[in-house]
Amino acid sequence: MDGDDDTSGTMIDEIYANGGEESDQRSRRAIMSGDQLDVEAYAALYSGRTKIMRLLFIASKSKIPTVQLDTLRMAYDEIKKGENTQLFREVVQKINGRLGPNYEMDLSWCEGVDRKAEQKKERLENELNAYRTNLIKESIRMGYNDFGDFYYSHGQLGDAFKSYVRTRDYCTTSKHIVHMCLSTILVSIEMGQFSHVSSYVSKAEQGTDALDPIIISKLRCAAGLANLEAKKYKLAARKFLETGPELSSHYNDVIASQDVATYGGLCALATFDRAELKSKVIDNSNFRNFLELVPEVRELINDFYSSHYASCLEYLGNLKANLSLDIHLHDHVETLYDLIRHKALIQYTHPFVSVDLNMMANAFKTTVVGLEKELEALITDNQIQARIDSHNKILYARHADQRNATFQRVLETGREFDRDVRSMLLRSNLIKHDYNFRASRKL
Amino acid sequence: MDPLEAIVAQIQGLSSSSSDIARLHTILKQSDDSLRSDSNRLSPILSLIDPSIHSLGFLYILDAFTAPSSSNQPQAEEVVPIITRFISACSVEQIRLAPEKFVSVCKRLKDQVMLLEAPLRGVAPLLTALRKLQVSSEHLTPLHAEFLLLCLSAKCYKTGLSILDDDVFEVDHPRDLYLYCYYGGMICIGQKRFQKALDLLHNVVTAPMTMMNAIIIEAYKKYILVSLIRHGQFSTSLPKYCSQLAQRNLKVFCQSPYMEIAHAYSTGKVADLEAFLNAHADKFESENNLGLAKQVVSSMYKRNIQRLTQTYLTLSLEDIANTVHLNSAKEAEMHVLQMIQDGDIYATINQKDGMVRFLEDPEQYKTCEMIEHIDSSIQRIMALSRKLTKSDEQIACDQLYLSKVGRERQRYDFDDYDVPQKFNI
Amino acid sequence: MDLSAVTAALELKSYNKVADILDNLMLQVAADGVAFHNDWPYAIHLLSHFYVHDINSARFLWKTIPSSIKESKPEITAVWKIGQQLWLRNYGGVHEAIRGYEWSQELQGFISAFSELYTKEVFQLLVSAYSTISIEDAALFLGMSKDDATSYVLQQCWTVDSSSGMLTVKKQPVVTEQKLDPRKLQQLTEYVFHLEH
Repeated sequence: MDGDDDTSGTMIDEIYANGGEESDQRSRRAIMSGDQLDVEAYAALYSGRTKIMRLLFIASKSKIPTVQLDTLRMAYDEIKKGENTQLFREVVQKINGRLGPNYEMDLSWCEGVDRKAEQKKERLENELNAYRTNLIKESIRMGYNDFGDFYYSHGQLGDAFKSYVRTRDYCTTSKHIVHMCLSTILVSIEMGQFSHVSSYVSKAEQGTDALDPIIISKLRCAAGLANLEAKKYKLAARKFLETGPELSSHYNDVIASQDVATYGGLCALATFDRAELKSKVIDNSNFRNFLELVPEVRELINDFYSSHYASCLEYLGNLKANLSLDIHLHDHVETLYDLIRHKALIQYTHPFVSVDLNMMANAFKTTVVGLEKELEALITDNQIQARIDSHNKILYARHADQRNATFQRVLETGREFDRDVRSMLLRSNLIKHDYNFRASRKL
Repeated sequence: MDPLEAIVAQIQGLSSSSSDIARLHTILKQSDDSLRSDSNRLSPILSLIDPSIHSLGFLYILDAFTAPSSSNQPQAEEVVPIITRFISACSVEQIRLAPEKFVSVCKRLKDQVMLLEAPLRGVAPLLTALRKLQVSSEHLTPLHAEFLLLCLSAKCYKTGLSILDDDVFEVDHPRDLYLYCYYGGMICIGQKRFQKALDLLHNVVTAPMTMMNAIIIEAYKKYILVSLIRHGQFSTSLPKYCSQLAQRNLKVFCQSPYMEIAHAYSTGKVADLEAFLNAHADKFESENNLGLAKQVVSSMYKRNIQRLTQTYLTLSLEDIANTVHLNSAKEAEMHVLQMIQDGDIYATINQKDGMVRFLEDPEQYKTCEMIEHIDSSIQRIMALSRKLTKSDEQIACDQLYLSKVGRERQRYDFDDYDVPQKFNI
Repeated sequence: MDLSAVTAALELKSYNKVADILDNLMLQVAADGVAFHNDWPYAIHLLSHFYVHDINSARFLWKTIPSSIKESKPEITAVWKIGQQLWLRNYGGVHEAIRGYEWSQELQGFISAFSELYTKEVFQLLVSAYSTISIEDAALFLGMSKDDATSYVLQQCWTVDSSSGMLTVKKQPVVTEQKLDPRKLQQLTEYVFHLEH
């Protein structure tokens, strides 16, 4: 839980040092580039459980054997630094001897860790019982918190969640509450329970005391992730955009600053209109700090805004493979890409009376036939007001004739009125009839 | 004197003035039972009375004579001509004094011609009968449904249409309306007047009711199919003025395959829809809806081509064929041609380039004809809204209504009874 | 059974009235209990529905004709063949069905009137639906030989490109009355009055 303290110092340097340092270059390329993912640089951005889970996720998604083995090896090493024997067994099974004798089952390690855990659990139980008999609130809270940490490090997320939630009754300061919230949020994210994430974020934000900027940023990120999972991309974009640069690597047991740039940038691109994109993303000095970490995303947003769609789409295309390996983004890549592409198509056609489809297809790196299908869908959906001249391969903007449309609507409304009033009169007569009939029966 | 002879004498004696007729009516009501018990002796009497002068008396005797309870029921071949002649000769004023009797005699005519497997024989008489019985063209008599049923059986759909153009408001019994609208819907379907059919079926589905009945379920099934044919979509939510009972039950009763075909339609894929229809053909067949269901499939080709007109200015026949899943460009051309002929789309086919150019509706709303049309719509709507106001006033003054509202004022807001907002012209 | 009204309408060439006359007459004779099937002019009755584009009614009528009569009177079946082609919108097939039977004296006039009407209507359809069409197809639609079809459409100011065998359609401007009656102003006043009260 508190493990981020030891690594944060170096990470801050990395992020703020915008020079040409080797490590900085590497981490950039690791996250966001068309090249094959640099797994080591990628893993270096994270700590704690998420580091392992992200590595395992890549191992399960990647189709490249060397990447699979690299990530599994790193996950193995990482797990061995901790106390999660269950996870260890799983990884060993996945490695299945492919990494040689150094990466096989280590039963003595497992037994050692498990034995120690058993002892620690006993000690924690005794302590907690003692606190409870003495009714010392603060100690009980600490006791439950220790239990939470204990379960978390051993991979028992459900129990960890319950223990953290239990500390709530013994919180005496708003600081305690925020701590409790952050702990539950962390566990919930790991469990994939994002509805819990939202509710504990708002609980933490409800507090009266001013929060530390780092904590605020952590909460924004957590809320952003929750909205992303719920497919509320616009809200997700807002949350990521509100994240302050204070975050740096303080939350690297959940999210890296690079992720904030990528998640926030893509969600914003998919859902913001032009004006919002300009004011909330491009001119947002706060967010620019994040974008600097992932120049490809910065570039593609600028390309989009300045209507260089081909270049924008090229960046997107290059990034796709690596984004699909992201534990949080992978499920949303297709949808976000579609949304971005649709917006690009709409924006492209918007200012024109007629558009040459050959040129447009060129700009969007597609064939005319494919473009026609895309445009067809958008026109049917009324997102583009135009007609395709498939013979001459030209798209013509369509300006509805207001006068004719009005006549048409008036006549249609008249027909509806006619129909509705007639059936209404009929119904009222039937009700009257039924009522009279019953009344006459009563007499 | 024989009581029967006495009645005949009364009938012949009391037919000149309205007060006479009223007296006769009282006498006839009293002797109804004895007439029925003597039904086997009535046949010769009918030839003694002139149906046009002594209509009321003739009606009572005819009713007793043809009553199904009579011991030796007369043959259909004997009854049909008598009733037919009576309907054409009878006096409107007199038969309206005993509408139930008149209706039951007419229904017997319907039963008899059905028995003879000659429904056509009853069509014209029943039309005359319902015209004579109805007080105004807004009045729905119990004979409307019987007439439409005969039209359906005799396949004179066109004749059936003639009464469906009247706007009916006054209803004697809800069941008359359900059947009228249901049969009427079927007639309109037969003549491909789908919008009119929808309106009629809609009335059945949304009618206030306190018990589920088979008519409404069958009507809803057809409603779903016709909606798809006419509008290419079906909204599964019923309007809120629909009865609770219908809201709760209709979808359950019509789930398979009707709600399902609506769902299959919504995907826009002809092949899926066809596969669905083939899989459920037996079910549609057994409920006499296979023909309609097939029209649903062919309407989808149309719908898909129409959708293209919203998107394209020009498109090759080849592409049309591919997009809407037709086998060849020639087939696509024929579909487009038919749609142009029916006024479903505006387009010109260019055979030289194998292209179709889609055009906007050329209607400019400037012609005298169009202005006449708009004018008549306005007139009609003004008349309707006057009617609505009048009906509103009538209800507001209705004794029963006021006592009910008085009692329930706490429970209902007065606005609930108001005309919907969008109609406040 | 008195068919004089029908005969009179046919003689006056009021072909579009025949369907209504026969429909009503049929209801009447049926109500009178006359056994009319054997003598009923089914062929004319079917054709009269075609003439007013009421193919639905024709179809329902066909279904009510007793099979013995369909078998004994081939001309009725021959007329229905036209109906089938109309139903299927097989434009060429309609002309074929018309030509494919030696019509009786009684029917000849009506048939040729229908044929003329149908050709005219199909021509109008071609005008509204095509910008270019092959001579071959035009001939098929109009039920003529290629030469006849070409000279027919050339009279209507179409042009022909003999090298590609394509005809270019000449659209006729539609003339519509647009002049307004001053009485409309009075009506407008009434509408406004209605809206205000």
